[in-house]
Amino acid sequence: MSEETKSNKFSRRKFVKGIGSSIAGGYILSPAIAKAAKKISKEAKDFSEGKVPLSLKVNESVINVMIEPRTTLAELLRDELKLTGTKVVCNHGECGGCTVLLNNKAVYSCHLLALDAAGKDVTTIEGLSSNGKLHKIQQAFVDEDGLQCGFCTPGQVMAAAALLYKYSKPDKQQIMKEMSGNLCRCAAYPNIIKSVLSAVEKSNG
Amino acid sequence: MKTYDSIQHVRGESKFVDDLFNPEGLLYGYVYYSSIAHGKIVSINLKKALKYAGVRGVFTAEDIPGENQIGGIVPDEVLLAGSKVDFIGQPIALVVADTKLAAKSASKLIDCKIEEYPAVFDPRIACEKGELIIPPRIFSLGDVNNAWSQCEYIVEGKTETGGQEHLYIETQGAVAIPVEGGGIKIYSSTQNPTAVQKVSARILNVPMHKIEVDVPRLGGGFGGKEDQATAWAALAALAASKLQRPVKIILPRQEDMRLTGKRNPYSSDFKIGLNKEGMILAYEVTFYQNAGAAADLSPAILDRTLFHCTNSYYIPNVKATAYSCRTNLLPNTAFRGFGGPQGMFVIESAINRAAEVMGISAHEIQRKNLLKEGDEFPYGQRTEHCRAIRCFEEAEQRYDFKMRKNYVEQFNQENKLVKKGITVMPVCFGISFTTTFMNQASALVHVYTDGSVRISTAAVEMGQGVNAKISVIASKVFSIDISRIKIDSTNTTRIANTSPTAASKGADLNGYAAMKACELILERLKKTACNELKFDDPKKVEIREEHIFYDGNRTPLTWNKLIQAAYLRRVSLSAHAHHATTDIYFDKEKAKGKPFAYHVYGTAIIEATVDCLRGTYKIDSVKVVHDFGSSLHSVVDRGQAEGAIVQGIGWMTIEEVMFDGKGKLMTDALSTYKVPDIQSAPKDMEVHFLEDAANPFGPFNSKAIGEPPLMYGIGAFFAIRNAMKAFRPERQFDFVAPITNERVLLTLYPAERFSGMKPDLAIDDVKTPAALVY
Repeated sequence: MSEETKSNKFSRRKFVKGIGSSIAGGYILSPAIAKAAKKISKEAKDFSEGKVPLSLKVNESVINVMIEPRTTLAELLRDELKLTGTKVVCNHGECGGCTVLLNNKAVYSCHLLALDAAGKDVTTIEGLSSNGKLHKIQQAFVDEDGLQCGFCTPGQVMAAAALLYKYSKPDKQQIMKEMSGNLCRCAAYPNIIKSVLSAVEKSNG
Repeated sequence: MKTYDSIQHVRGESKFVDDLFNPEGLLYGYVYYSSIAHGKIVSINLKKALKYAGVRGVFTAEDIPGENQIGGIVPDEVLLAGSKVDFIGQPIALVVADTKLAAKSASKLIDCKIEEYPAVFDPRIACEKGELIIPPRIFSLGDVNNAWSQCEYIVEGKTETGGQEHLYIETQGAVAIPVEGGGIKIYSSTQNPTAVQKVSARILNVPMHKIEVDVPRLGGGFGGKEDQATAWAALAALAASKLQRPVKIILPRQEDMRLTGKRNPYSSDFKIGLNKEGMILAYEVTFYQNAGAAADLSPAILDRTLFHCTNSYYIPNVKATAYSCRTNLLPNTAFRGFGGPQGMFVIESAINRAAEVMGISAHEIQRKNLLKEGDEFPYGQRTEHCRAIRCFEEAEQRYDFKMRKNYVEQFNQENKLVKKGITVMPVCFGISFTTTFMNQASALVHVYTDGSVRISTAAVEMGQGVNAKISVIASKVFSIDISRIKIDSTNTTRIANTSPTAASKGADLNGYAAMKACELILERLKKTACNELKFDDPKKVEIREEHIFYDGNRTPLTWNKLIQAAYLRRVSLSAHAHHATTDIYFDKEKAKGKPFAYHVYGTAIIEATVDCLRGTYKIDSVKVVHDFGSSLHSVVDRGQAEGAIVQGIGWMTIEEVMFDGKGKLMTDALSTYKVPDIQSAPKDMEVHFLEDAANPFGPFNSKAIGEPPLMYGIGAFFAIRNAMKAFRPERQFDFVAPITNERVLLTLYPAERFSGMKPDLAIDDVKTPAALVY
């Protein structure tokens, strides 16, 4: 019963077991089994509401927090760490508003459990500039006016930053593809493309 | 020239309502809403929800201390449904809890029993039943009945345009904080701070001075936060007042889509009469506007449909009738264009249908009937500084329309399955709130002793660049560097009785007000300069790039020194000014007057390619000549034009709002409701600023920009349709927008073609056109 003794610790096995039993619970007729299932189901519930430790790096700082396992990375960033530059727009992984870098790759933070970022490097819009100096992609968005209302901008900028990590010399086609996961309802797309192209030119110039 | 706040936007530092510092003791609200389109509320049981861990309160209509009424134009909409529900998504209760999750979970425990009544979703049926929001509105010019006999061609038809989800990237939201003396401070994502203030005061039964509304900025509005931001702010205020704790309501995306109204869908009938030469002699049109369950802004939207029912054309005999029909759908609302696009779609459809019947191109009819100087609109106003023909001809020449048209024809001869279509889309859009009294604004300008300037106006920044424009205006009036100017949030304690930031009028009205306030200070500064320099004529004082000149000669005074001197001389460095558009009026009874300060003109040429096997298409290019006046900020103006065009194309093509048979919104997520992304925006977009186009009625001769270019998007519909006609010249197509890929396919291959049909396309013809590979 080692699992029960360290009941605070997150274990995928126990989580899955608990959920599975609670789903099956309704179909079990034997009172004894039903009682046992109910107990496990209750444990699973307690567990899901309990907090687990998480350690990760956010903008180069090591962060140690206790979070509910269901917390998304976006929720961790916005609600716990107060990094409100990351926006939750659709919360369904459909618009790119919440894009951050996970080990320098673009991810939708609304669609990623914070626990999946354990031990990894997260970069948010707040961490992109260093020593107060704008990152070249931020500067390009300013220079080319790649924004209007500014709400999708952090996500656009992070997606573009990931693109610059991925390709040294992306062509327009690659830019369009990599940026296609980020919606801008103001439709500032022409200037967003110009911004990325300008940053690419400057990196290679 | 940069857009305002762009550096903080790219750093993620800009604060939107949900990003503001969370006050101590903040609670979260979740809205419980009707899942029945029409019915009587039999009972509401809150017991279980109230017992849920973390819940601090659940509020229903009974808890409202003041009047349960949020209607703006017509008092026909409750904040919380008490006895009956009129649409799916109508708020019934607000659950307030320690966490967002607890509030949402508890809302599922509310037991509300509703006795279902029959519901109506079709505006024509609602009209038949007499379910009208306001009495029918009629605009007329000349006499259509006499004109028909002179017409060589008379063509009739029917059109449909769908709704449009605003999909502002920032969802609706507000934070309400109780303050001493029974007041509430509300941070709201609204285009209309005064509406939030007024309605919250009404709901709480307190005077308006107890309610302070502050709007930091909006992550997009597009009309969707003109009237529909109010409810969430008022609900937050209600809960904050009851619990004496700060309450935040941020609608999750799906709830935002389910609970807020959209662009009004329209169903319309037209009858158009032309002579042999293609001159339009008469036009009769009937609009059935789907208002949804409450008036919201629909009556004003209906008026704008009528104002723009003849678009950019002069038609001597017009009769336009419009019905605002009450249905059991979400109350529809303002959306960029505000009924104008819906009206223009019908006249363009009529012209296209007439062209088909006459065997000529629609372009010929458009060209022949463009507005000229002094022409009368159906509402009595005459054109002044009319640029309809100029824009049209310049677009034809600049973008070589003839050559492009020939190219398209040639392409269509050479390609069997892939067809191209080209169309011209002229636009004429009136600028002013058509409700005359709303054409007012005010501004408050402070100059601080270090020479920096802070400006408040009634305008709400939502990406349309109003702050950038106001800072340009102030920097021009003072002739100081733009970096000295800071534009403040919009706040009802600094600027009272604001008109909504809407109707493309934000920069015009507030720009003028800011200009006047700056001028008041400038006059005082000129006198101060005379006193300092011992000169006698303030009229000869001039500021040029932060240096003070007298009679054309540079003096030792600079902006900084002058401000210091003024302060020491106890001269006021603050000013408040009010601006109201002069010389506009409109008699609603007669439907005649001069409602607009001026009109914006422009013409777009749009090309599309349709894969007639798959029904897919792309918009190849949109090329525009647009009348910006003398642009105040070319970057902002170009961005507004490009963005509006894409949004207009979205409305006409891929954006489809759908409800099921019970009135439930089916397109309530981005997976089911598509908006243009970076790939679907036209690859080739060119916007040319019409030259020598000063506008005497706009600040520094500028023109409004927010809405007019959206209507170029209507051209996308006709470009696609023209391509489809090239594929099936024998068929008569309808005028139903949005023309989604599915609709293209179903139109090209209607069901009857498949019953025992012989395939008329050999398999060898099936090629993937290179042009359509993304």
